[in-house]
Amino acid sequence: MKKKIDLTQLLRSKVTWAIVAEILVLLVCLIARPDFFSLKIQEDTGMLYGNIIDILNRSSEITIIAMGMTLVIALGGTDLSVGALVAVSGAIALKFMRWDVAEYITPGDYSVKPYALALLVPLGVCTLMGLFNGFLIAKGGMQPIIATLILMVCGRGIAQITTDGRQFTTKFTPFYRIANSSFLAIPMPIIITAVVILLMWLFVRKTAFGTFVEAVGINRNASRLSGINAQMVIFIVFAITGLLSGVSGLIYSSRIMSNDSNNAGLNFEMDAILAVVIGGTSMTGGKFSLVGTAIGSIIIRTIVTLVYYFGIASEATMAFKAMIIAVVIVLQSEPVSNYLSKRARNRAKLATGGVK
Amino acid sequence: MSENNLLEMRQIEIQFPGVKALDKVDFFMRPGEIHSLLGENGAGKSTLIKCLTGVHHKDAGTIILDGKEIQPQSPQHAMEMGISTVYQEVNLCPNLTVAENIFVGRQPMKHGQIDWRTINRRARELMARFRMDIDVTRPLSYFSTAIQQMVAIARAVDVKAKILILDEPTSSLDDNEVQLLFDVMRDLRAEGMGIIFITHFLDQVFAISDRLTILRNGCLVGTYNIQDITKVELVTQMVGKDMDAIFNLKRPDVAPGTPDRLTATHIGSPGKIDDISLNVREGELIGFAGLLGSGRTETAELLFGVTHLSHGTIVLTGIGENAKQKGNKKIKNPYDALTKGLAFCPEDRKRDGIISDLSIRENIALAVQARKGFLHPMSRREQNALADKYIAELGIATPDAEKKIGELSGGNQQKVILARWMATDPRVLILDEPTRGIDVGAKAEIQRLMLEMCEKGVSIIFISSELDEIIRCSTRIIVMRDRKKVAELDGENCTQEKILTIIAEGAEAAGGVA
Repeated sequence: MKKKIDLTQLLRSKVTWAIVAEILVLLVCLIARPDFFSLKIQEDTGMLYGNIIDILNRSSEITIIAMGMTLVIALGGTDLSVGALVAVSGAIALKFMRWDVAEYITPGDYSVKPYALALLVPLGVCTLMGLFNGFLIAKGGMQPIIATLILMVCGRGIAQITTDGRQFTTKFTPFYRIANSSFLAIPMPIIITAVVILLMWLFVRKTAFGTFVEAVGINRNASRLSGINAQMVIFIVFAITGLLSGVSGLIYSSRIMSNDSNNAGLNFEMDAILAVVIGGTSMTGGKFSLVGTAIGSIIIRTIVTLVYYFGIASEATMAFKAMIIAVVIVLQSEPVSNYLSKRARNRAKLATGGVK
Repeated sequence: MSENNLLEMRQIEIQFPGVKALDKVDFFMRPGEIHSLLGENGAGKSTLIKCLTGVHHKDAGTIILDGKEIQPQSPQHAMEMGISTVYQEVNLCPNLTVAENIFVGRQPMKHGQIDWRTINRRARELMARFRMDIDVTRPLSYFSTAIQQMVAIARAVDVKAKILILDEPTSSLDDNEVQLLFDVMRDLRAEGMGIIFITHFLDQVFAISDRLTILRNGCLVGTYNIQDITKVELVTQMVGKDMDAIFNLKRPDVAPGTPDRLTATHIGSPGKIDDISLNVREGELIGFAGLLGSGRTETAELLFGVTHLSHGTIVLTGIGENAKQKGNKKIKNPYDALTKGLAFCPEDRKRDGIISDLSIRENIALAVQARKGFLHPMSRREQNALADKYIAELGIATPDAEKKIGELSGGNQQKVILARWMATDPRVLILDEPTRGIDVGAKAEIQRLMLEMCEKGVSIIFISSELDEIIRCSTRIIVMRDRKKVAELDGENCTQEKILTIIAEGAEAAGGVA
């Protein structure tokens, strides 16, 4: 009896379908290229190397942002500014590490004097920008999509001003290591992502914060009347999203060892929203799943990798992505999952020899 | 086939996850009869109706309409077969005209264009048939709720309905409007239409129906001719237990000299309440009587910190022993009120009470958790214990604590919200219309719970539009009119006539008391 219910619930769970979709996409890869899953250790860096690692590695920027976006969407909003914050974060970090000015580096050895500032200031600024979003929404009563549009538009401008419209580069090794080193043969971005997911999960599920977010997202009025400080919840969620965008920005600029105010984090907000939706969190707010979001982000990256790997013209990537995402979302939709769980129930009834 | 039934629903079964919503229910209806469908909240009335109108699909059983078996797939499909429904909330477009509302989606055409003249003429004829002489070219929002309700019925009837389902059509109508609706229903009955009438008002059931069918817990109790059943029998059948024990309530007496627990002096907020003073003693139940909009809810919101207090003081005494001691800080928001031992069950359950997608467990634990703050989470075991305790204590009908609150019936949702606040162990509990829209059994249950809490020393402020329940339960009654406290009654003075006179005094709208 117990098991039957579990099965129907499993079929109704959107995370299940996200996992199924990921497995299907990987199967396609496997059939087309049996060596798709091969892993080897690179001689020179001692790093694991292979498609799977590459997918995880390259998805980390989006996954990290999408952790915050999950909470924002659970509140019933969206944060459009995350991509711009990625650019801001990179610009500020590089401002501290530009190697063309003697003020910040000891000439010749490329070391940056206040290295901690190069990491903490961008993260701090991004958190403040997140709080700014939160302020407009919680206190100003603006719709999140409108409020965050402000920073989406002017964030890149701020990044440009920070760097005087220039592209700085750096050769500072500690910064290079953020995205390009490894720990136990696993690339550092994957480690950082795992830590972020773990911390976020602990924060929302081991405290009551997750329940508060869900409650405010479903019914802000009722939550307030139950004694929840809804404004504070909104502030915290947007601050976290800002901070995580900053982390993502540092990884991004560490990869290219430069800042790129025009292209860093471009369309990240869309990918992050997609990851959340594929992960089974409804855009109307309420119940959310961080694990689902992480899988959603990996699916997106798998599709992109697949397209590159098979030499499909990169112009077609978008169309390809859209196609697979459409399938996932249809599988998750209410009518389909109802139909499937009903079928599973009937089959279980037959299996137990029900006469009715 | 039995004698000429218009509609036969036989052995209907509907299974919802974890609960059998309908279990082998039979429902037969003759042409030209008004058939009341009765039962407590959650008894299966709306499920049966939704099965007939194609919203839910039955798992077993047959539906026969006019001798032909039918399988309604959607409300649209049901309507095409002659089953029309008018829901409690008016489902029309307020910005369209009356005529447009009646014909929207099936406008008569002429030369490829909408034939406005015919639309308006036929709408006028139709409304005249309902004894209404109104300008059908005015927007619907121009008219009162009663007329809007009539328009909804007119629209439902005009689509050549064989069966008309009226789901709580009278809940927002006054007595004259109800009579008007009944006249229309009698006309339609004379034309051979079958009308299914769902209501919580038992007087109306006896005033208009020919037969009635009672459901309880998803099962059929029976179908009766109206002259074969008395009101008491009917209620007993609906609730399934003896009503005497429940109605034998004793209002809480408070000994003279009992200390005040809450004293509000000249509190107010611009645009809400100018100036009101009141005191609540330990273990006392204060009733708030008055019309809708008389300032009852506004006062409650002031006390609980929902609205900002602009002047006056609220003093709470002997409160805080079981909550985080916050001194005598002003109550600035619901959180402050909560930490000082206040609790507030709001009037609009859907808007301000339930968190529909969260489970019963989460909904019950919410206020306690909010008081602790999110950094001090309750363990799953604590939450379960709390939920199980109140599910048992309040008799919340659910298979388990993990069911979403949105899937419960109105009365059970109300109990969950009540549990949320009882769990905070409040010293002063404010209940704003806790019994609205729930059935007799649940109402009596909630009244019993209130009195039990008073006995344990909780002070209760009870707001209700139903005078008899206020009179039955309150130690003292505060009468509100035009956002002012106009009287405070106790003991012998708490009579229906007296309160009604006070409410009506000086105001011409005395007839509108529900």
